[in-house]
Amino acid sequence: MAILQQFAQQLINGLVIGLIYSLIALGYTMVFGILGFINFAHGDVYMIGAFLGLVLLGTGAFNFAAAMLGAMILTAVVGVAIELVCYRPVRRFGKGFEDAMLVSAIGVSIFLETLAQVIWGTETHPMGLVIPKVVYQVGGLYISSLQVLIALVSIGLMIVLHLFVTRTVTGTAMRATAQNTMAARLMGISVNRIVAVTFAIGSFLAAAGGMLVGAYFDAVYPLMGWTAGIKAFTAAVLGGIGSIPGAMLAGVIIGIVETLGAAYISSAFRDGFAFIILILTLLFLPSGLFRVRRGEGKV
Amino acid sequence: MKRRALLLVFAVLVLSALPFVVADPYWLHLLIMSIMYMMLAASVDIIYGYAGQLNLGQAAFAAIGAYVTALLMLRLHISYWVAMPLSGLGAAFFGLLLGFPTLRLRGLYLGIATMGFSEIVRLVLLTWSSLTRGPMGLPGIPSPTIGSFAIESKTAYYYLILVYLLITIFSIQRLVNSRVGRAWIAIREDETAAMAMGIDTARYKVMAFSLGAFFAGIAGSFYAVYISFVSPDAFKMMDSYLIFAMPAVGGMGTMLGPLIGALIIYVLPEATRVFSDYRMLWVGALLVVVMVSEPRGVLGGVASLIERSRRARQES
Amino acid sequence: MIRRILTVVLVLQFGLLGLAGYGFAQAAKGNLVVGVAGPLTGTSAQDGNDIKNGAALAADIINKKGGINGKKIELVFEDDRSDPKEAANVANKLANDKRVLAVIGHFNSSCTLAGAPIYNKAGVVEISAGSTSPAVSQAGPYTFRVIVTDAFQGDFVARWMVKDEGLKKIAILYENDDYGVGLKDVMNAKIPAYGGQVVAAESYYLGETKDFTPYITKLRALNPDAVFIGGLYNEGALIAKQAADVGWKPPFFGVDGLYSQALIDLGGKAVEGTRVAGFFHTAQPDPMVQQFVKDYKEKYKKDPGTYAAFGYDALMVVAAGIEKGGADRAAIMKYLTTLKGLKGVTGVNTFDANGDVIKDPIKLVVKDGKFQPYVKK
Repeated sequence: MAILQQFAQQLINGLVIGLIYSLIALGYTMVFGILGFINFAHGDVYMIGAFLGLVLLGTGAFNFAAAMLGAMILTAVVGVAIELVCYRPVRRFGKGFEDAMLVSAIGVSIFLETLAQVIWGTETHPMGLVIPKVVYQVGGLYISSLQVLIALVSIGLMIVLHLFVTRTVTGTAMRATAQNTMAARLMGISVNRIVAVTFAIGSFLAAAGGMLVGAYFDAVYPLMGWTAGIKAFTAAVLGGIGSIPGAMLAGVIIGIVETLGAAYISSAFRDGFAFIILILTLLFLPSGLFRVRRGEGKV
Repeated sequence: MKRRALLLVFAVLVLSALPFVVADPYWLHLLIMSIMYMMLAASVDIIYGYAGQLNLGQAAFAAIGAYVTALLMLRLHISYWVAMPLSGLGAAFFGLLLGFPTLRLRGLYLGIATMGFSEIVRLVLLTWSSLTRGPMGLPGIPSPTIGSFAIESKTAYYYLILVYLLITIFSIQRLVNSRVGRAWIAIREDETAAMAMGIDTARYKVMAFSLGAFFAGIAGSFYAVYISFVSPDAFKMMDSYLIFAMPAVGGMGTMLGPLIGALIIYVLPEATRVFSDYRMLWVGALLVVVMVSEPRGVLGGVASLIERSRRARQES
Repeated sequence: MIRRILTVVLVLQFGLLGLAGYGFAQAAKGNLVVGVAGPLTGTSAQDGNDIKNGAALAADIINKKGGINGKKIELVFEDDRSDPKEAANVANKLANDKRVLAVIGHFNSSCTLAGAPIYNKAGVVEISAGSTSPAVSQAGPYTFRVIVTDAFQGDFVARWMVKDEGLKKIAILYENDDYGVGLKDVMNAKIPAYGGQVVAAESYYLGETKDFTPYITKLRALNPDAVFIGGLYNEGALIAKQAADVGWKPPFFGVDGLYSQALIDLGGKAVEGTRVAGFFHTAQPDPMVQQFVKDYKEKYKKDPGTYAAFGYDALMVVAAGIEKGGADRAAIMKYLTTLKGLKGVTGVNTFDANGDVIKDPIKLVVKDGKFQPYVKK
């Protein structure tokens, strides 16, 4: 395979994994945009989404699309539940307790991971052959049908999200709350409700990511949220935390850089590339690629 | 003041007698590890509890300290008593390195940077095989010796880590009650105001990072000789989170908070090893429950209880 | 205020320590306690649980026959989660429990190595049923194993690939830890020695790496005759599947790490034709093996995997030590250094000076969804 061909092939590999990072990154970025809080447990929510989908598929009553939708809805509920039980009560105490929120998030993360291990065991579960796997050859490049599916679904979801956030009332309320929470409240927006909606959407998308990854690698396991979570988080930062288009773009960038790095520099240091990007971003471009203007009066 | 000193002496005496009370070597091992974690919790408390700089990568400094000790003792056959302070200094140096570029970052962004740093350290240790033997780790680290006496028994290690912890706590308290400590607290409460008051915030922030890293490095060096084996996953990101959670749960910016937190977070899951599969469930749930009911941690909760009872007494 | 807090702290500490005294389960007096340490949770949980089952079965059978000199064997299981730090904790716990006469453990080479100094210092035998890293040979006089080293297995597979099958250009994908690196080093040495060529060696992380597409793309471009996987079944299955996804089906080879039903469960059609070196197979005609398979199926309602067989043999070895050497740690160790020719279900166990065994592997291939003895066409 010619050098250029190989490069293009690796680009495709990176693009696909990057799109998944984007899906997960959206959850991080939206929650941070509104609450100024990093939801450590978000990666584990993504994992729960994958498992819920696995369970639904296992009943035999759903096909892949239905199972994915079902999992997404269920996970949205889980996400909101976590917010209500573990985060909102801490915010009750007023400002200045970010560390408490972080610790609570860490607790949720540990809890979810262990819960998954207890319920489903620690082994890797295959998702089963649910999508016909076809290999397309385009100009000497190999693309699998799964890769195409991931691309279509993730881009599709992101477009829907974008429309939701810009065209609907709730979406506008979300943007308003992120910009200036005090003002939003004054305008009659129920901030608590918007926060719940944000968590719901973030979890909804993360579950999609989980299902797609589960199908792509045919592997669902309790610790899958860990690395993916950190990388998606890096994507959220790189994209400009609070910026939705930023998260989308940054996820892809990280996926590509990581894949190319693994292919051409060092496969062992693969995960490190994301962190180097993280540190460089924070040092030289802390507001990320798409700066998001935020006003006073956070929650 | 005198009563306080007496109580402290009493506590130290009791702690010193513990090895003879504990019959089971396994529990002595747990005690030793929990004291080491107390030291780590105290070290991160310097950076966050006092200076207000979010640090989610403290485990990296411990890892650096552990590896420096391991490498110096194994490759250059340097005595532990020389390797140990060098480990602390090595870790402090990295604290310095981390401190400077992150000066411009605040709050959560700083926390994120520390996470990235911690993970990069782990990956470097993992992939720089020629130096660190990568994933295989460095086994067979010799015991520290004082003349002809070798620190090999658990009791001996217990006293060693106890001494380290006491020195750490003592140093922190001295610093906190000095100009340095007051500068830290000023920075923590409102960094801009502190700058306006003429405090050289950069200097104090970097100092906090270096000192916190120093003590973590010493704790790491203890780990190296106690377990006699170091590997890159000895101190990973989850450990950083847990170490951070310890002062948070116990009470940040206090003397006893990190210690209580370490006991709760480290000893509790080990003590409930009986429910092996489920113990982390309790830890996770515990963290949430504590934060939801008393975000200032156990000591904060005790403080509010005392306040409330005092107020109730006043009103009656 | 400080006083109150101090009191609380002291009470806490004493309370917890008090628990310690009563916390330990009181074993029935007179039982022969053997520790079993391995990954009961985590990425190698399948293998860890297999070892546990094999050992438990052996203990059961012995106990049903009246035990050893009238005393029953009691097993204590500890989970090291494939984490060397946990392994050190577990080793401390078991070594310091005076009732424990010997320990079967650990599984992952890095865990066995982490525990070795502790076991050796306490003078308790550590027999591994799964660690193949050459480093374990030098881990100490109390460290033994019933499984052969990677050096041995790797050599066998290298010869199989290059000499027996005529596959000259080999690409290696290996786990970045003791196990994988050890295998990679062996292959790097032996493949050229037999006349082959290593065209690439890429590493990944056990339990973490799921996306193998960059490696597959890279290796495919080099056009190797075969791919050697220096790792365990999870990753092996993923590699095979992701390669098949893009239409690449090179012959895959591996050692005992791939030899698990889980490889087929996870890999499906993609792992058909994968060849491994193994030491145990349910279809072996040997009567001892067949009896073991029958007993295992009866107790656990499924076929035994290769590590169950190793766990079984490990306990047999320990039982022999207790019986012939005595219910004493040092005596067991001394007896094991003289152990020769103890037949087990994975081969004949004879310990050399390093506590290693030599057993001849079997060639196996995944055919029709099962591991079968390999027959060259």
